Amino acid sequence: MSVAEFVKGVHDGQIDVVEHIHRTLEECKIINKEYGYLNLISEESAIAQAKLVSKKRKGAKGALAGLPVSIKDSICVKGVESTAGSAMLKGYIPPFDAGCVSRLRQAGAIIVGKTAQDEFGFGSFSTNTGIGFTAPKNPFDRLRSCGGSSGGAAGLAQKLSVPHVALGESTGGSIVNPASFCGVVGLCPTYGRVSRYGLIDYGSSLDKVGPIGKTVADVALALKVIAGFDEKESTTATVPVEDYPSFVKKDVAGLRVGILKESFGEGTDSAVEKSVWGAIKQLESAGVDCREISLKIPIEYGIPTYYIIAPSEASTNLAKLCGLRYGAEEKIEGDFNTYFSEVRSRAFGKEAKRRIMLGTFTRMAGYRDAYYVKATKVRRLIIDEYKNVFKKCDAVISPTVSILPPRFDEIKNLTPAQNYLIDALTVSPNLAGLPHLNMPVGKHNGLPIGAMLTTDHFKEGVLVQLGAALE
Amino acid sequence: MKVDSALIEHVAKNARLQLSRTECEAFLPEFEEILDVYKKLNGIDVTGVEPALQPVDLAPNLREDKIKASFSQEKALANTKHKKDGYFKGPRTM
Amino acid sequence: MNTENAMTNAKQFASDVIIGLEIHVQLNTKTKLFCGCSTQGSEEPNTRTCDVCLGFPGSKPVLNKAALDAGLRLALALGCTISPKLIFSRKSYFYPDLAKNYQISQHELPLGAGGKLALNDGTLVHITRAHLEEDPASLIHQGSAGQGYVLIDYNRSGNPLCEIVTAPDMRGAEQAREFLNRLVSVLEYLEIFDLGSCIIKADANVSIAESGYIRAEIKNITGFKEIERALTFEVERQKLAVQRGERLVQETRGWDPAAGVTSALRLKETEADYGYILDPDLVSVDITNNMVKDAQANLPELPAAKTKRFVEQYQVKFEDAMILAAERSLAHLFETVAKKFDSSFAVRWLRHELSAVLNAKQTTWSAAGLDERLLLELFELVQSRTVTDLTARDLLQKLFERPFSPKEYVAKHKLASISDRGELEKIAKKIVDENPQAAEDVKSGESKALNFLIGKVMHQTKGKADAGVARQLIMKILER
Repeated sequence: MSVAEFVKGVHDGQIDVVEHIHRTLEECKIINKEYGYLNLISEESAIAQAKLVSKKRKGAKGALAGLPVSIKDSICVKGVESTAGSAMLKGYIPPFDAGCVSRLRQAGAIIVGKTAQDEFGFGSFSTNTGIGFTAPKNPFDRLRSCGGSSGGAAGLAQKLSVPHVALGESTGGSIVNPASFCGVVGLCPTYGRVSRYGLIDYGSSLDKVGPIGKTVADVALALKVIAGFDEKESTTATVPVEDYPSFVKKDVAGLRVGILKESFGEGTDSAVEKSVWGAIKQLESAGVDCREISLKIPIEYGIPTYYIIAPSEASTNLAKLCGLRYGAEEKIEGDFNTYFSEVRSRAFGKEAKRRIMLGTFTRMAGYRDAYYVKATKVRRLIIDEYKNVFKKCDAVISPTVSILPPRFDEIKNLTPAQNYLIDALTVSPNLAGLPHLNMPVGKHNGLPIGAMLTTDHFKEGVLVQLGAALE
Repeated sequence: MKVDSALIEHVAKNARLQLSRTECEAFLPEFEEILDVYKKLNGIDVTGVEPALQPVDLAPNLREDKIKASFSQEKALANTKHKKDGYFKGPRTM
Repeated sequence: MNTENAMTNAKQFASDVIIGLEIHVQLNTKTKLFCGCSTQGSEEPNTRTCDVCLGFPGSKPVLNKAALDAGLRLALALGCTISPKLIFSRKSYFYPDLAKNYQISQHELPLGAGGKLALNDGTLVHITRAHLEEDPASLIHQGSAGQGYVLIDYNRSGNPLCEIVTAPDMRGAEQAREFLNRLVSVLEYLEIFDLGSCIIKADANVSIAESGYIRAEIKNITGFKEIERALTFEVERQKLAVQRGERLVQETRGWDPAAGVTSALRLKETEADYGYILDPDLVSVDITNNMVKDAQANLPELPAAKTKRFVEQYQVKFEDAMILAAERSLAHLFETVAKKFDSSFAVRWLRHELSAVLNAKQTTWSAAGLDERLLLELFELVQSRTVTDLTARDLLQKLFERPFSPKEYVAKHKLASISDRGELEKIAKKIVDENPQAAEDVKSGESKALNFLIGKVMHQTKGKADAGVARQLIMKILER
């Protein structure tokens, strides 16, 4: 059943929201035992909310009335522990809802829990977990990764049998990457399209909240609910929100799609290539004009640029975590430098420490100009090159990730630098703040393969339009 | 540039992280490898290029000077056990 | 060493001293710089806080428009060039009073740069930069150094500050004080600073010629008097050190107001590295030419211009004009009185009589909050000679204790001057008769005795007699 059909069922009084949420929560628990997609199942508040929705006439009429939604752990939900997958924020119960969460609530959606992720979003496999957290498992092979960092969100979106949308968050590819590995649709909107208020920051100039679901129509509907200006956040756009679901049925004939030349060939799994080419053929047969384009600077310089800017910002965003006011605390002893250092050294996981170190280094006096400042300039060139490409075409297509979901034992052997290269295709649209979408386009040995579509700023409608043509 | 344990320790200190000897030793080659990735940027000329703060041109969202409700003291302090007489408790500075 | 000694020496060597200031002014907006919490109100700890000023994960800053306006006006009033964009940076350092362990400040491009403020003697103090930033929380230290902990109150966290950095153009503590007075005067004119509740803080760099201008930076001095005291002390300390043959080093020092001394601070080597990045949570704001033009056009006439005009328009002495123009509302009062009566009357009663009362009460005209109309009513009584100057002076004092209508008060307490010459003559006659010795002395030309008799008349009439008339009458009686 699609989300739209479910909501209609609720509107028409054919679905008992309370009964349905009980069933959903039970399923979540069962799935969670095997796959570990949820850091927390907010059973009590979900039931309370369901009761409220079924009573409230307005709630029952909401655009997502009664719909079970899951929220990435890095997004604050009022009264529900929100840790961003880190021991550092164990026990942090935000006294406020994130902007996207209040919009979901207003639309009548019901929050079932907080999904697993790499600590603070620092990873591409959801294996860089915080201390005391476990990595979620691929829905098609539990020995493999479900991608990251919104791994729990994508896994749950695939596995849950009832209609459901998961909210993920992407800094360098963390929505489309896990969507690709889990065989679901993930839409990362334009930077500033969805409020970041209440999002526990990774890299504030990069972070975007977006929906993950089973179909393009499902994520389009969810995006329409969560998108829009928020007075509590300085980087939300005032650009009008489009009626995304209406793009699902729009004809794609005549649209121009650029095939990203650099994303094929060496380094890309042949099975992945084959499936993505299949998708291109599918678009062509629907009347889309597909031709090869090149994005030299984004592909060549995306990784170093991203891995300088993101840690630079992250290391300042994570500075506030020091054992005061919330989260991990220890006995107050010694001077502040000692206390802060001890709490931080104990509560941050390995990759968090690594990125804090990198980010502190890249903005340190003497290195700042060569790394941080230079990267912000290269970022401008990356944006400019995309902008040029979008003069000639409506979207760009490439594989989302160039490999199939790897096994955990394979991931273990990667060095951090090799690990970072996994994001080669996803970091640039993220640096440029461009909306991008993962569409499942095939399988190889039972493992899903995803194609990524990227459009110009605020052209989420076109993404939905093209995505639907690939379903 | 030379990456050595002195640099690693300096960065760690700046970041208020205490790295164990093992962590420090493991970090050194990783750091060197990542710096090699960064080095790629040497290949691109950015003379006259404006830095990009956000990727999208956004209209500034300025707030009117109107008082909004603050948290109650209880709410402000609810997330910590380190509190006393309405204050947060923190480590000493002297 | 005491401060007075230091002051004398500072004067002696004034031209060899170089002082630059970094001043933090709290802007008087209703709400904080990046959140809607009130800047004023309950002093109960942590009652004016929210997720933003507490640095809760997930919170985001949103800039207060009024703070930008205030900063823009200040930068313009100081003659700064305004940057085309307003950009904030994160200044990173770990400290328990910082909610995020970084301060949102301006680094790359300050709001204003290249301004100046002239001192009395023509010295130009150059303003290197003026920028906006947020205030940290306040700490209360518990227990002794080396043990104990701090209590943190975030009520202050996020208050809007404007930091003003000067070039090292001041040649002594006195000039530094004058600069601060000038600055506060400008702030008061712009109505962006509340002298009563907002605090001025400064860091100062001080060096002397004898050492080859090796700088000491004194951190975090709070309040006017302390700034001057600390500077005076530091100049003297450096001179003595050089005299003793010590070598000064560039260092950061702290000011201990209780002990009245500065002392070297031990700084962590890492503290100098703020690792600035642009704050990605905030969007850069274009400051258009029109915004600047509008702000410039709406600036009031500033103290320096007003002083000049008072001298030209009202033929007031420069020193008097400066004091009258230092406070916006006082300057306004002066013009009202000068127009209604005349300028020398206004100088006498405002610059001298009113100032004396205000100084004695350690307040200012605007802070005293007296209704201007009551004062004008009193001046009318003086002008029409309904009351004597003596009575008027007394009433002026009383007005600041508890306001009242001078007219009604004079009527009620029968304080009108005795205008009936006949009645006054009777009193004078009585006084002369009662004091034959004094009368004789007056006849033999002793002015002391005459004043004595006048005083007696004044006493008898409770000050209601015109002293000049009393004098004439006494002389007339004795000539007879």
